[in-house]
Amino acid sequence: MYEIVAESAGKKKLKAGDLTRAMTAKYGDSVSRKDCKAAIKQLIDSGRCVYGYYGGSSIELPRTEGAANE
Amino acid sequence: MATEVERKTDIGPPHYEQFLHPLMKANYGNWKYHETLKPGVLAHTGEAGTLYTVRCASPRLASTNFIRQMTALADKYSDGYLRFTSRNNIEFLLADKENIDPLIDELNQMNIPVGGTNNAVSNVVHTQGWVHCHSSATDASGLVKAVMDELTDYFTSEKLPARVRVAVACCLNMCGAVHASDVAILGVHRTPPRIDNETLPNLCEIPTTVASCPNNAIKPTSIEGKTTVTVDEDKCMYCGNCYTVCPAMPLADPLNDGVSIWVGGKISNARSEPKFTKLAIPYLPNNPPRWPEAVSAVKNIIEVYAENAKPFERMGEWIERIGWPKFFDLTGIEFSKYHLDDFRYAGTTYRRSLHNRY
Amino acid sequence: MADDLKIPLLEELEKGPWPSFVSDIKSVADKSEMARDLLRQLEKSYEDKRGYWKHGGLVGVLGYGGGVIGRYSALPEEFPGVSHFHTMRVNQPSGWVYTSKALNEIMDLWDEHGSGLTNMHGSTGDLVLLGTRTEELEPMFQALTQKGWDLGGSGSDMRTPSCCIGPARCEWACYDTLDLCYNLTQEYQDELHRPMFNYKFKFKLAGCPNDCVASQARSDMAIVGVWKDEIQIDKDAYAEYIKDGFNVKEYVVDMCPTGCITADENDIEIDDSNCVKCMHCIARMPKALAPGKERGAALCLGAKAPIVEGALIAQVIVPFMKLEPPYEELHDLIERIWEFWDEHGKARERIGEFIERVSLATFLEGIGLEPLPQMVKQPRDNPYVFYEEYYAEEDEGEDA
Repeated sequence: MYEIVAESAGKKKLKAGDLTRAMTAKYGDSVSRKDCKAAIKQLIDSGRCVYGYYGGSSIELPRTEGAANE
Repeated sequence: MATEVERKTDIGPPHYEQFLHPLMKANYGNWKYHETLKPGVLAHTGEAGTLYTVRCASPRLASTNFIRQMTALADKYSDGYLRFTSRNNIEFLLADKENIDPLIDELNQMNIPVGGTNNAVSNVVHTQGWVHCHSSATDASGLVKAVMDELTDYFTSEKLPARVRVAVACCLNMCGAVHASDVAILGVHRTPPRIDNETLPNLCEIPTTVASCPNNAIKPTSIEGKTTVTVDEDKCMYCGNCYTVCPAMPLADPLNDGVSIWVGGKISNARSEPKFTKLAIPYLPNNPPRWPEAVSAVKNIIEVYAENAKPFERMGEWIERIGWPKFFDLTGIEFSKYHLDDFRYAGTTYRRSLHNRY
Repeated sequence: MADDLKIPLLEELEKGPWPSFVSDIKSVADKSEMARDLLRQLEKSYEDKRGYWKHGGLVGVLGYGGGVIGRYSALPEEFPGVSHFHTMRVNQPSGWVYTSKALNEIMDLWDEHGSGLTNMHGSTGDLVLLGTRTEELEPMFQALTQKGWDLGGSGSDMRTPSCCIGPARCEWACYDTLDLCYNLTQEYQDELHRPMFNYKFKFKLAGCPNDCVASQARSDMAIVGVWKDEIQIDKDAYAEYIKDGFNVKEYVVDMCPTGCITADENDIEIDDSNCVKCMHCIARMPKALAPGKERGAALCLGAKAPIVEGALIAQVIVPFMKLEPPYEELHDLIERIWEFWDEHGKARERIGEFIERVSLATFLEGIGLEPLPQMVKQPRDNPYVFYEEYYAEEDEGEDA
């Protein structure tokens, strides 16, 4: 899941739903929506990804403070 | 995973029960009726007794000092119990009727008006404006202060035909109930976003930015090999949606930003159905610190309503009874092409009957 | 007062009878550099007629995607005190009830970690702590949780639910708004703190159709209390109103939207089968009339402000539901709605816009509800019906 976020960095801001759909596409029905929810929580809690916001929330790689504004 | 000790998350708010006045607990779900003792003072009665509510204004943008002043009053008069209303009023909850007048005296000494009940102008629901918001076309706190300085008398009395709900939002995002208020002041931009072609390619996602426009006015383009966007200025209605998703398209324009005035919305289902506010005045200038044009426009509308509406008739119900042409007539507001809708549901606002008054 | 504070325009707003936010901010300007620079930057906005805040940034507390609104001054060198000016949304208690002790505790924490400025409250309902620096967010969050408080929502998540005072101080509450508000907030903590939707989703809970929390104007799901049976009449209290000279014909009978009330000096009768539960008569005579005994709520969906496709007032999706703990039927419906919206909605599409785009019929099918005449003002008046049942050639032969 982290790979997908890393791949699309700078290209497209992914939403939680996008990640869930991508996971289902890759692994089929063996991953449930609940699994994906837990996996996203793990990515965020570990600090490997962060939530971003521009008119809608997305899951992104961490950036330096305020960089988005410069 | 993070391994910090004792870091709590997802606990939610404290349970409300610990903040309920003992009489609220005793009469919970078993209240019989309520009365208004005078403007700003309510009495709710149930089998366990009567609870008195004293309602006063607040600036909403309040310092910790102000809140501590209020909690000190609560400690003195209402056993430490107080609450806030959905319109930013403060309510002290009193078991002892004898405490009502001393509390009101203290509030008045602090220049805090008591009122906002029933057929009054209640406190204003408003947004952040220049105090905290990046997309605001005007200030909110200052506008509210300037308007309410002129309407305080309608807050501390109940002399209007019905309640009048005033709201202020500083841009079309309307982070307040502007679209369903008796009178609303809405900050407006009047010029298209200015595109920063230097930063846009790095800051913004092009497809998202293009898709953000409700009128399809934004198209991708290439400048010096970098992908950016252009705006079809004839299609732009200055909603600011693109700026929300793309910071490189600011709309703020000191020369042209200002406010519009809206009337006749309502939320409650009493008598007639909930309704949207409708445009009264398309543009008035931003004129800080006291916005005299906006203030006198709002005051005029409320005074004409007060003079002409029947008892318990809300602003929108009054206008529907007399008809919109008469509203423009009585208020002296000019009707213009800007009052004609041209967005998604425009046709629903055109008159398709001969029910005109001559 | 600090000597360098020259704010003549704002000081104009210290005059007049309404409480002045300028005087109030000044009262903390001595101890808070943030408050002082906020006034100075605001003065510049008043001079130049424009705001000086930058678009939000990526700030928050660890693990949460909501509850903090990033804000930076566009003029950090001129106004270093507000170079960071982030907002923290603290989840308010149901009905905005507090004790002095609890509020003072939050104020103490905020003086230590933030600007000393608040909004009581934000439009969604949160207790808004206005203005702090990035490095103070996590310590403030931990201090809050130690005292039993948590953050509310922001971004594409479930926003902090809010409700009217309900049964705690109102005889009109048709269900326990405070309890259900608390229940939904706790049940959906994950949805509140971790944005996983197409866009925001707001709940507002009103105890009766007066809707003191503007749920029908401002929430994706409005839960509005209502009753099904007869309005309760206290004939003795009615006689009191008449004795006091209350004009029941002009103020009640003539103003009933369906004309279902007959009343004179001696008696009042209501044809409840034609009553639309508008509350007007009850509000005029609160001692004599009260909502019926069979109480519950109507569920309405889709209210929103104009952005993107235009403003909407909430539409009825369930005309009546009994609402009692543990609220399983409601939870189940909410989850079906979220799932269908999540699956088929577009980015930044609110539920109301989603229903407009896919049609009410498709939406109802998607969440498993049967169409009812209570859901519409009137049946369609255009003949472009998408028929799904029809006979093929061979079927026709058999049937004939």
